[in-house]
Amino acid sequence: MAEEQKEAKPKKRMTATKAAASIGPMVKEFITGTLQAKAEGKYKVAYTFIVCHHEEIFRALDVIPVWTENFAGICGAKRDAERFLQRAESLGFSRSLCTYALCGIGFDQWREELGQMPPEAPWGGQVRPDFMISSGQILCDPRSKWYQASQQFMPDVPIYNIDLPYPLFQENRDHREVLGYYHQYIVKQLRGLVAFLEEQTKKKMDYDRLRELVNLSDRTWNLIDETYKLRRAAPCPMGTGDAMNTMVPINFMMATQKAYDFFVDLKKELEEKIARGEGEVENEKYRLMWGGGLPAWYALNDFNYFNSKGASFPVETTYRMVAPLNEMDLPETKDPIEHLAWRWLGYWTFWYDKAKKRPGSEPDVERLINWIEEYKIDGVVMHEAFSCRTWHVGLIWQLHQLAKIYKPIPVYMIGKGGQKEKVYRELPSLILESDIIDITSYSEVDTRNKIDAFVETLESIQSNRAT
Amino acid sequence: MVFVLGIDIGSAQSKGVILDDQGSLGSFECASGGDFKLTAERMREELLSRAGRSVDDISRTVATGYGSKLVIFADEIKSDIVCLAKGVSSQLPTARTVIDIGDLYTKVLRTDGNGSVHSFILSGKCAGGSGRILQVIARVLQVRVDEIGELSLKSKKRVEFNTGCAVFAETEAISRLSQEVTKEDLLAGLHRALAAQINSLAERIGVEQEVAMVGGGARDAGLVQALKEIRGHDILVPPNPYMTAALGAAIIARESLTIQD
Amino acid sequence: MGDKQSHIFDTVKNYYNNYGLRAKELKGEGKQFIGYVCSLVPLEIITASGCTPFRVRGSVHEPITRGDTLLETIVCPYYRSVFDLSVKGKYNFLSGLVIPHGCDSMVRSFSAWSYGLPFSYFHFVNIPSVCDESSLEFFDAELDAFRKSLEKFTGKAITEEHLRQAIRVHNENRDKVRALYEMRKADPPLISGTELTMTLTAGSSLPIEESNGLFDQILTEVKGRGKSPLKKGPRIFIDGACLDNIELIKLVEELGGNVVADTICNGARDHFPKTEMGGDPISALSRRYLGKINCPKTYRENKAGTFEGDIASRFGDIGAYTKEYKVEGAILYVYKYCDPFGFEVPARKAYYQSLNIPLLPLEDVYSSGTIGQLRTRVQAFLEMIG
Repeated sequence: MAEEQKEAKPKKRMTATKAAASIGPMVKEFITGTLQAKAEGKYKVAYTFIVCHHEEIFRALDVIPVWTENFAGICGAKRDAERFLQRAESLGFSRSLCTYALCGIGFDQWREELGQMPPEAPWGGQVRPDFMISSGQILCDPRSKWYQASQQFMPDVPIYNIDLPYPLFQENRDHREVLGYYHQYIVKQLRGLVAFLEEQTKKKMDYDRLRELVNLSDRTWNLIDETYKLRRAAPCPMGTGDAMNTMVPINFMMATQKAYDFFVDLKKELEEKIARGEGEVENEKYRLMWGGGLPAWYALNDFNYFNSKGASFPVETTYRMVAPLNEMDLPETKDPIEHLAWRWLGYWTFWYDKAKKRPGSEPDVERLINWIEEYKIDGVVMHEAFSCRTWHVGLIWQLHQLAKIYKPIPVYMIGKGGQKEKVYRELPSLILESDIIDITSYSEVDTRNKIDAFVETLESIQSNRAT
Repeated sequence: MVFVLGIDIGSAQSKGVILDDQGSLGSFECASGGDFKLTAERMREELLSRAGRSVDDISRTVATGYGSKLVIFADEIKSDIVCLAKGVSSQLPTARTVIDIGDLYTKVLRTDGNGSVHSFILSGKCAGGSGRILQVIARVLQVRVDEIGELSLKSKKRVEFNTGCAVFAETEAISRLSQEVTKEDLLAGLHRALAAQINSLAERIGVEQEVAMVGGGARDAGLVQALKEIRGHDILVPPNPYMTAALGAAIIARESLTIQD
Repeated sequence: MGDKQSHIFDTVKNYYNNYGLRAKELKGEGKQFIGYVCSLVPLEIITASGCTPFRVRGSVHEPITRGDTLLETIVCPYYRSVFDLSVKGKYNFLSGLVIPHGCDSMVRSFSAWSYGLPFSYFHFVNIPSVCDESSLEFFDAELDAFRKSLEKFTGKAITEEHLRQAIRVHNENRDKVRALYEMRKADPPLISGTELTMTLTAGSSLPIEESNGLFDQILTEVKGRGKSPLKKGPRIFIDGACLDNIELIKLVEELGGNVVADTICNGARDHFPKTEMGGDPISALSRRYLGKINCPKTYRENKAGTFEGDIASRFGDIGAYTKEYKVEGAILYVYKYCDPFGFEVPARKAYYQSLNIPLLPLEDVYSSGTIGQLRTRVQAFLEMIG
């Protein structure tokens, strides 16, 4: 069965919005753009990771980012990651490690060995970088290990590692007590990045330009927030399946006018759909939240399968890497680097105060509860990708804690004495298991059986719900 | 008088039940084999002959289980989760938590006594915590699967078995046997490890009493006992626990006829 | 082997097998124990607060059950086991727990620990992932915040003098461990790897002064030995993360190897680096824990510009130990799902090759159930190099 899946060309996924459908060509253009830039030699290209709040710095110095997670995801979505994963395994890396990184390292090693792109490399392949910007953070170990491992095969490509921590939520501590020194540190780390890039590009940072770019991405942040909040409408005009496309401008194109314009268009499209009463699914029966986990990129059609059962996904925690800036209370500063550091901390601590107010809550759990209410959610779906601890450890606990402190569903049950009793129960949840790009971990039959059972459960709850 | 079929094509065993308005007219079990379509056909023939009926007498067929989509003559396909809840509620209406131990997966679900499911969970995909491990061990020990339960209950000194993973269990069993551990003690240890794993799966969605155990694994008295010990309370097992999903499918078939009427 | 030897090693064995025994006794006398996981937690600050640091262990003999109801199975099996024992109540005598940013599993599960366990004190110590001036500055501040949170917990100030005193006794402890490692240099070694790991593990469950006393007794005992407890065999180096149990080492020694050195967290990684005396104590601690503990979690810049130069600087301690302890073969023991170590396996392999030291890389799941499989591989490896 797994063999069949690998050979089968992935079917093009149906999107609900025109905007989402325009993403594929955009990514392809972007990948070929990096290849072209490298060939022309006019601009420096750099490997790097998403969610580092450093795009503005890159773009202000005309450094072209090559998002290595993106390329691995593309290999996965094209169901062509296996040969790179196998190569990494034969180099001695365990398959239990981050498969994005394994795919990237396998690809890099192959390209370096050949002195050219591996045969039939997806979308022309991943360009050899001029340098690599890795990032140790409070999350994602592979981010500081991946490029170091790749460097074995291209030792002349330098790495600059920036550290971007944030204060972890601790129930009995006000995170504001420590924000000061976190901020100072992040500012220094980002200034270190500026100095490194200046040295590599032989250019001086134009801080006015940087300020403009920071301002552009701030405006984009707020616009994305407004746009995504439109999905609260019933029926929901755009689901998580589409959001796995529209994550591209959020995560790979920030600080560009193109990203801003994309969301202007998307917002307009959603408003029109809402006005027409048009939903992601024709007859919306259930509203689900994608409550955690990166998607299985080779199986995005599973979202359409959910849709075919009347289930829509108005909201997801994954890749919504922005939060409304006006709700963050960021200190005023004219220095764009200082602002980037405050925005970083503001994003990661966004739910802390709210979480403190609800007994037993925690930022990730609090976000689930808030969105369940704001988006009128009937059930939570999560995906456990075996190879990624960063986004997938803690999900079971979050569901456990959610069920413990939040029971929104009234049902009648036959009590011990035989009489009907009204009791409250937790929101149903489903955990799917496979991987981000390792297709050998995925079984379509099993996944869809689980989805069937879950939808039947939702149906059963809906018909037994006490009024 | 209406007649309905419930057919459960599992990854290892297939089960079927034929019902009329009053109750069961017969059931049948066989290995699923490699051709699920053929197995489904054979299942139908067997059930009809047991009840002395013909294909035309059947008003509705509901299929469930791993191979349910290949029961081409089924009127409806239902997930085994929903069928299990239905089946258990009809036999054990006080059960609120159902643990189904199958060949590939262990499934735990919570129900309300009317057959509606509130939540469910499946064991991980590596067949850890499922019935598969019992088959593996039976082969290693050269005993039949249906002998395992009795042997295990005879254990005097249970071995501390460390893994519930089917792959590691095999090598662990072999290395234990080389230390001259008895079959009985080894099996008791394995049952304990497996039951602990199943219990932690159940705890993930919360266990409400009473608890029922069904599926092929519920035929294993050693496993049922081990789970009772770990949970510290009694566990209900319906008659013919491996038939539960098929029975539930048949009940769903019959109920949907009543609703249509 | 005299009676006296069995006496002190019996004490060690007792502390090892009944891990936490002494902590439970002392708790009765009013002492407070603060648990920690990972070598990156600055123990001196806990000691300076008047509490006792206690390394929380897993157990390879105990199947993971309760822990799996709250924590994903994609977490490294060692950490899962530690969590499992904790939620089963094995460490309920602790007053608190400190978790550092050692890896994603630690970060992402912090809430599962802090909401699920009945301790009154929890603290997370953020550890920078790079080591430069600004990260040392940040780490100073982070350690100062740790100090303040402990002060709040105990209601007592932690003075510089307390810190200096704690640094002194912990450094003493490290000197004693070094002295124990000296005993491994004989051929065959005067102390077996099994004995040593058991001793260090027992030590990590004791107040530091008691640990010092215990190590002294072991040292006297071993020095007085006429001969090695082991038959002469291939001198083996163990490389990897935390090995808080003796199973692998015992296996190597049963099969004829002599385990003589290591980089494991419960060995040289943890115990060799010392803290500078004099100057600001917090700053000295941040330099020890971030700068000197050689953990793959911390990114070290490639200053050489070549792969060979990079591995020589990242793994230079291994090279030095293998020379110092006349190592003949190495075992790289890595847990499944461990990203920090996992991504270094090929580079480490290359490094051993550059040293001309045969290497057996193993990926394991922290369960005595796999010993059978390990046996076959270790046996073949020892035969190959023997």
